[in-house]
Amino acid sequence: MVIVHTVSSLLSYVAFLVACGAGALFLIQERQIKRKRMGVLFHHLPSLDQLERVNVLAIGLGFALLTVGLSWGLVGSRLLRGVWWSGDPKEILSATLWVCYCILWLARLRATMRGRRVAWLSVGMFCVVLFTFMGAGALVDSWHPSLGAR
Amino acid sequence: MHIVLVGVNHRSAPIDIRERMAFSSEQVPAALSRLREELGLEEAAILSTCNRVEIYGMLPAQEGAVARLEQFLSGHGGLSRTELSPRLYSFWEPHSVRHLFRVASGLDSMVLGEAEILQQVKAAYETARLHGAVGKTFNGLFQRALNTAKAVRTHTGLGRGGLSVGSVAVELAQKIFSQLPEMTVLLVGAGKIGELTLRRLADRGVRRVRVMNRSLERAAALAAQYTASAVPLEHLAMELLDADIVVTSTSAPGHLLTQEDVAQTMRARHQRPLCVVDLGVPRNVDPAVGTLENVYLFDVDDLKGLLDHHHRERQAASAQADVIVDQKVEQFVAWWEAEVRSCEPSSSALAAAR
Repeated sequence: MVIVHTVSSLLSYVAFLVACGAGALFLIQERQIKRKRMGVLFHHLPSLDQLERVNVLAIGLGFALLTVGLSWGLVGSRLLRGVWWSGDPKEILSATLWVCYCILWLARLRATMRGRRVAWLSVGMFCVVLFTFMGAGALVDSWHPSLGAR
Repeated sequence: MHIVLVGVNHRSAPIDIRERMAFSSEQVPAALSRLREELGLEEAAILSTCNRVEIYGMLPAQEGAVARLEQFLSGHGGLSRTELSPRLYSFWEPHSVRHLFRVASGLDSMVLGEAEILQQVKAAYETARLHGAVGKTFNGLFQRALNTAKAVRTHTGLGRGGLSVGSVAVELAQKIFSQLPEMTVLLVGAGKIGELTLRRLADRGVRRVRVMNRSLERAAALAAQYTASAVPLEHLAMELLDADIVVTSTSAPGHLLTQEDVAQTMRARHQRPLCVVDLGVPRNVDPAVGTLENVYLFDVDDLKGLLDHHHRERQAASAQADVIVDQKVEQFVAWWEAEVRSCEPSSSALAAAR
């Protein structure tokens, strides 16, 4: 029970990391193209549409994995402790993350947002992922294990 | 045995002399057999392009060989020796070998690093081979020349970057769209430079092309060449929704595309990226269009700037390329000394035999 919750949550973080990486490379490449500069990276980086495709796929995959991870967490909490939701800071952060990626994913799917904005958001939101994953336990009390916990 | 080279190129001789020196493909076979029968070359090849005419030969003795080849070339071009001699250069191995390797690599070209010369060297070799003018030495020499050119292209930035406005535009478009053949190209204005850019795009497999021109006839004529469709200029706004790459080259005054037009289009096309190449002078597209999100605008100055950038990069790469060429020359000479030269009877043995 807990394993599915942990593994899929962790895998979703990996996917968000990929999305963040592709987003960052997209921003670098786009900047070079917009400024008409062909730096050293220009020839070595993939084209914008390839980077965007990786970014979007990774966001979608990460979102799906996070959904599985969170719902398993809810069910697990109900079964093990009798409550769906205990208001743990990590739960709140994760739920926020889920909502953010959900909005990003839908916005991208419906093509209301594209390119640079999606790339920026996927980089920015990964910082929240990092905080959820590592920082949250160190700063606030949580019974979720965390890399930053002492 | 020695390897000799005698020739003229774009640096040593002006175009009117090069024109007269050039060998047409029909003249090459006869010239090759004359070189072998009358001038005593054991192996021979003729490289004749618009920028150079060079004769490569292998012969047993150096004495008088260059003079005989000069005589041959002056006869061919109908020029007097005094007119021609100062324009000619001649080298013996290993310099002749190095020269060929540098030529094949594009290091001796007018446009540094251009790739066409490689095909021309290949063709010169094929022709000579077809007419039985090459043997072990020249097979080795030319194969290694082609091999050197490939090594230079792979290991240095010499072949990198477009050499014309059109090819730089294509290079940029490829960094936005990875699948050029699936993209729709809209050409506005059927002028020369636009057509050249269209040709570069077609070289990369672009199939969906619309041509738009004030005169629909001209558009239709151009469209026919590229299996494109001609559309009237009034449909610009509609075509803009469909296109991925827009190339404009009209001489119309004022902006064909304003920022407002394009912003509206971008909303309608759900921010699908749009690459705009403005080749018009004065510019056909409002420069502010380039500030819009997901729109990538390049004007003639941008493309020229990139051309200059490529040129500087190639110059930097040419030093690296020369190092590779020197290595390959050494390898060839070592091979040749061992395989060919060591097998020939020494001159004293030859004299004794007589």
